[in-house]
Amino acid sequence: MEPDQQFQFSVFFCQQLDPQQDLHSRELERVWGSRIRFFPMQCSGRVEALHLLKALEEGADRVLVLTCPEGRCRYKEGNLRVRKRLEYARSLLEEIGLEPLRLELRAAPAQGPRNIARILEPVLQEPWEHGPSPLRNGGVQGDLSPEGRNS
Amino acid sequence: MITGTRKPMEEILAMIAPYRRVLVAGCGTCVAECASGGEKEVGLLASQLRMDSRLRKIPLEVGEITLDRQCVYEFIDQLTAFLEKYDAVLSLACGAGVQAVAEVFPSWVILPGLDTSFLGQTKQAGLWLENCRGCGECRLHMFAGVCPITRCAKKLFNGPCGGSQAGRCEVSPEAECAWHLILQRLESQNRLECLEEIYPACDWSRQQGRGPRRIQREDQRT
Amino acid sequence: MNPTSHLQQVLEGAHFAVTAECGPPKGADPQALREKAQKLKGYVDAVNVTDNQTAVVRLSSLASCVILKQMGFDPVLQMTTRDRNRIALQSDLLGASALGIQNVLCLSGDHVCFGSEPQALGVFDLDSVQLLYTARLMRDEGKLLGGADLSQPPKLFLGAVENPFADPLSFRARRLAKKVAAGAQFIQTQCVYNLERLRHWMNQVRELGLHEKAHIVAGVTPLKSARMARYMKERVAGMDLPEPILERMEKAPSNKQREEGLKIALETIEALRETPGIHGVHIMAIEWEEAVPELVERCGLLPRPPV
Repeated sequence: MEPDQQFQFSVFFCQQLDPQQDLHSRELERVWGSRIRFFPMQCSGRVEALHLLKALEEGADRVLVLTCPEGRCRYKEGNLRVRKRLEYARSLLEEIGLEPLRLELRAAPAQGPRNIARILEPVLQEPWEHGPSPLRNGGVQGDLSPEGRNS
Repeated sequence: MITGTRKPMEEILAMIAPYRRVLVAGCGTCVAECASGGEKEVGLLASQLRMDSRLRKIPLEVGEITLDRQCVYEFIDQLTAFLEKYDAVLSLACGAGVQAVAEVFPSWVILPGLDTSFLGQTKQAGLWLENCRGCGECRLHMFAGVCPITRCAKKLFNGPCGGSQAGRCEVSPEAECAWHLILQRLESQNRLECLEEIYPACDWSRQQGRGPRRIQREDQRT
Repeated sequence: MNPTSHLQQVLEGAHFAVTAECGPPKGADPQALREKAQKLKGYVDAVNVTDNQTAVVRLSSLASCVILKQMGFDPVLQMTTRDRNRIALQSDLLGASALGIQNVLCLSGDHVCFGSEPQALGVFDLDSVQLLYTARLMRDEGKLLGGADLSQPPKLFLGAVENPFADPLSFRARRLAKKVAAGAQFIQTQCVYNLERLRHWMNQVRELGLHEKAHIVAGVTPLKSARMARYMKERVAGMDLPEPILERMEKAPSNKQREEGLKIALETIEALRETPGIHGVHIMAIEWEEAVPELVERCGLLPRPPV
């Protein structure tokens, strides 16, 4: 990764995915520092559109939802439901002109280690075409006084 | 419940454009059940508005509150403490709630964030269907619990039109033909004779006769 | 003014009636209507004027009926409950009678969403059964639906429509019974292509004795082309066009399709004449008025009883 591409990642992951998630998330945190934030969920189906929007609002450039392999959700449909929620959240982003593909869903491979660090490493290394979030330079705090009201 | 859908974003942005401090106010009753105006939806809309203002570099402060109900004074009163900090309230209640809030705070700008739709039921998760028009004279006992005023596109009281096919409505094939349902249920209840009688013209005055309707109960008044 | 309309006399005189449909123009020109109607002169007992059919705005049914009346036709005023509330409907019934238009066909009408003004409010204050009931109340008891007395009751011959092919089949005849009980004196059916299903329905109608209480006039629409047949089969709600009919149309070479359509219509009319309880045919030759004289002539239904 190029030094000028200091993206912020927020990762929502299903806790059923990795029995040693604390160890593995710390492993990534050691490499990526404050640029990666983890949000463990009891099931990816618990992820709501609001979580995803908040993550972007709070400065993430790229939000990843990491689910169990398809057909392997402990609660049967959690990882299917989150797809629809993510699609909905994307539509909300589109409404305000923010790149919907900043929200991304990744299913863990059916064969492979149950280790979020191993699953995420290649994803974090991928070239990322959408650049830094335009919200980062926004932050205007104009005149919010009652006089600013012109009704 | 009363259902609604969130207004298009452009419409909301145009409504709030003159204001710098907007309170998004949800309602925890009907519109929360239909996922359009409850606490979650307040959070989503407020987040969208904050991000939008940052993207467009417009100063905007967005507050969030969700009342248990926006159509009853005791609950509306919870807004009193917050209003001073805001220029306008973007209400995610139904039209009844928006109007009740506007009446309690006549000098504040109360904006509707939802398009109020209908009285209906939650048919499945994520699917709401209209089934009552509030006609003021319920006759569901005559129609095996299926309202022809609401669920027949032509409000037919005396049997199906000539267009229904395979139990679907010709006007919107995704809807079941109300008369198909009525017949099916009456048949299973052995009550088809209900339909032999000519159903008289409806008394619409109970619905729209003299402007807004009122219910007054002395035992409930203070 | 005749005590009863010509159509009523024909039907009650046990003639096999022939009526045709005439759709008013999408404009204010009465000439288009006159030209259409002129082709029917001498071949039909009454001309049925549609009321903004398929919810497309057209010259009004009542005005068109007056024009046809002036031409010497006995018009049938179609009246839908889609566009007018009970005040307007009752007023128009009085107006029709005052203008000498007595035949009124009561329908609910095609839904506004299919027409030229899909944003319009669909009124449906009354349904077709309630309109029949109202018209009969006005005529027989000299009263308005709201209870007020009329200074003079209207003279009306009341009709209703029925679709023997729509679902649910088991209820169709019973629904007709309701219309007859409400006041229908003649019944016009949806276009008949499926004779088997029509006969099945007529058995039910006869079991209920409805054919003795109302004159049943079967609808016939000659097919102009194989394309039209396919459209009717696949796209028109409530239409029952069996596969063999479609095949016949599609097998005919394109320059022979009109003739094949006429042949099918002729065979249908023949079969209808043989069906006990059917008192006439209503020919709906959509944008093909010339077909009416030809059909009537080839069926041997001429001359028509004098007006």
